[in-house]
Amino acid sequence: MTGALFAQSLVLGILLGGLYALLAAGLTLYFGVMRVVMIAHSAFLILAAYLAWFFHERSGLDPLLSLVITVPLFFVVGYGMQRFLVSRLRPISLTTMSVLLTFAVALTIEGLLGFVWTGTQRRVQLEYSGTSIEVFGVSIAVVKLIAFALAAVSLGALYVILRKTSFGRALRATTQHPEAARLVGIDTDRVAGLGFGLGLATAAIGGTALSLDYTIYPSLHWHWIGPLMAIIVVGGLGSIPGAAIAAMLLGVAASLLQVPLGTTWAQTVFYLALFVTLMIRPQGFFGGRLAQRF
Amino acid sequence: MRATRRLTVAAIAATTALTLSACLASPEGNDQGGGSAGPDDPIVIGVSLPLTGDFAEPGKGVQRGYEAWAAYVNENGGLLGRQVELIIVDDQSNADRVASDYERLINQDGVDLVFGPFSTRLVVPAAQVAQDYGFLFVEPAGAAAEVFEQGFDNLFYAAPAIADDHYDHLADHILALPEDERPKTMAVASMDDPFAQGTAYGLRDTLADAGVEVVEDEVYPPNTTDFSGIAAKITDSDADLLIVGSQYQDGVNLVVALQQQGYQPDMAAISGAPTNAEFPAAIGDKTEGILAPTGYTPTATYPSNEEFVEAYTAEHGTPPAEDEANAWTTGQVVAAAVEAVGCADPSPECQQQLVDWLHENEVETVVGTLSWDAQGRPQSAHLIQQYVDGEIKIVLPEDVKEADLIHPKPEW
Repeated sequence: MTGALFAQSLVLGILLGGLYALLAAGLTLYFGVMRVVMIAHSAFLILAAYLAWFFHERSGLDPLLSLVITVPLFFVVGYGMQRFLVSRLRPISLTTMSVLLTFAVALTIEGLLGFVWTGTQRRVQLEYSGTSIEVFGVSIAVVKLIAFALAAVSLGALYVILRKTSFGRALRATTQHPEAARLVGIDTDRVAGLGFGLGLATAAIGGTALSLDYTIYPSLHWHWIGPLMAIIVVGGLGSIPGAAIAAMLLGVAASLLQVPLGTTWAQTVFYLALFVTLMIRPQGFFGGRLAQRF
Repeated sequence: MRATRRLTVAAIAATTALTLSACLASPEGNDQGGGSAGPDDPIVIGVSLPLTGDFAEPGKGVQRGYEAWAAYVNENGGLLGRQVELIIVDDQSNADRVASDYERLINQDGVDLVFGPFSTRLVVPAAQVAQDYGFLFVEPAGAAAEVFEQGFDNLFYAAPAIADDHYDHLADHILALPEDERPKTMAVASMDDPFAQGTAYGLRDTLADAGVEVVEDEVYPPNTTDFSGIAAKITDSDADLLIVGSQYQDGVNLVVALQQQGYQPDMAAISGAPTNAEFPAAIGDKTEGILAPTGYTPTATYPSNEEFVEAYTAEHGTPPAEDEANAWTTGQVVAAAVEAVGCADPSPECQQQLVDWLHENEVETVVGTLSWDAQGRPQSAHLIQQYVDGEIKIVLPEDVKEADLIHPKPEW
């Protein structure tokens, strides 16, 4: 491996890791707040990417502007989904049943995308799609940089919301001990709904970032959900910083391993990390006990 | 996991098909029995096609091609002065069904000739039946190597080339370049798929034998979406020639990733993606100079192709695509043999004469002049197209080119 190739792969890994971090953050949030395994997270991601593409096709404006619509929309959809679907599941079997429920939601979204926009692969074609900035011999694609910046800003905002606002405190209290949270007067149902909405809003941002640099098609979400699930387990279910760190490490590892191993084997790094985590530290490497998350 | 979706679709299609076939008690054309008796009777041609199930889309394309060919022949005096009649049955993309379909067409319906179905999986069992009954078997779609390794001596693939030979015109062109213009190194990336790899590796191996060095050789799984890693390796190799074996989205994503990293090859040969109509829309104005092999294009100037495109467009309103063209080609090949030998009946003598004639002769078709080896592999190559002034045009071979090949490729 030459130095230039190493540097290039490292940078690509960090950029990819940033996007994974944002997407995994939403996924781990659902689990942390209400023990829901949200298979449809990446389907909403692709839905947001389609909306960004459609917005760009129709208006000719930059797909990033579609965030103004999709983020609030997804927040509301997420809130509604929690209140009217997920909260109807029996608490005793919530986690397993949520897999089935959200799997169905994912299939529905995929089917609707195919129905409305057909299976044709779509791509947002922008002035700056192929352009890059060169820093010390490493090319950084503008679209990847934008995606990374979006991810970093959103993750930062999420962190601030959870740490500094009273809603964040209520959300964390609901995560740590729902009964105790109710005793001190927190409307945990409402908080859980808002938490779900917040998670889905991150999917809107991630999907828009994705649309800048990827060809999209209805079944694309299956390629994302596997690595994302692995990331949140490695990071510790429910821990947002854990998910972010695991995403970054695994993103970089996949990118660097690709050089000696090739594409096929580099993809397995996520699952190898998952197996190792389950064998030696099932609670995750960066999360600690669920009650102490965030 | 596109397979999941395909399975779902297949399941629904299969259910529908079952219901349908239960409703339609008798298959089409059962009343045709008897075959060819006198000189005024039509020549009956039996075909089984995947009109439902996995291959329904291309199957219907082949059906349109066959029907357009039959209509055209009948308008122009028929075959041996007799009208042509098609019996097309639906095999539901099912390999067991396709064999029994051809059994029934030959035995019960008494067809005079058969045409092949769509795709390798169905061609092999169908060809076996035809072989058992001594029938000539010309097929429009079954390019995989295994089709020609079953020991059939009655089979002919009615297209210009099998996958390995798609790039032959380009390979010849590269090897004829002066020493200083010829690429010295090449980077290869292909989807893990027999067809994509066959095409890309055909060119790679020919050039490697001639001394061009392979500096990067990547295979990626069909579900790959992030191509920046592969692009980084290819960019780092700085190869003169880029060879990509793609389907669609993989080719687009790889090209964009390479552009992002500033890789500028002297020549880029990409099979699959570039001949897709969506390609220029996805890449924007950075397609200039990209080369791609194609099995068929309506703009090719072979004499019979102009008639074909005109006749087909008049009937359907749109120019034909590759499936339609290969079906039409199948018709042309069989017709040429029938006209030359002067018979069209199910007797083993007549069928054997048709087979022998095709082994020894060339046929002018809409995809150029075709001839075959003993196993039925066509001996030509695909046309090479290149994006010139923003449009995809034929640049090789010389006799049908629409534009001159641009070399070295402009920067993208």
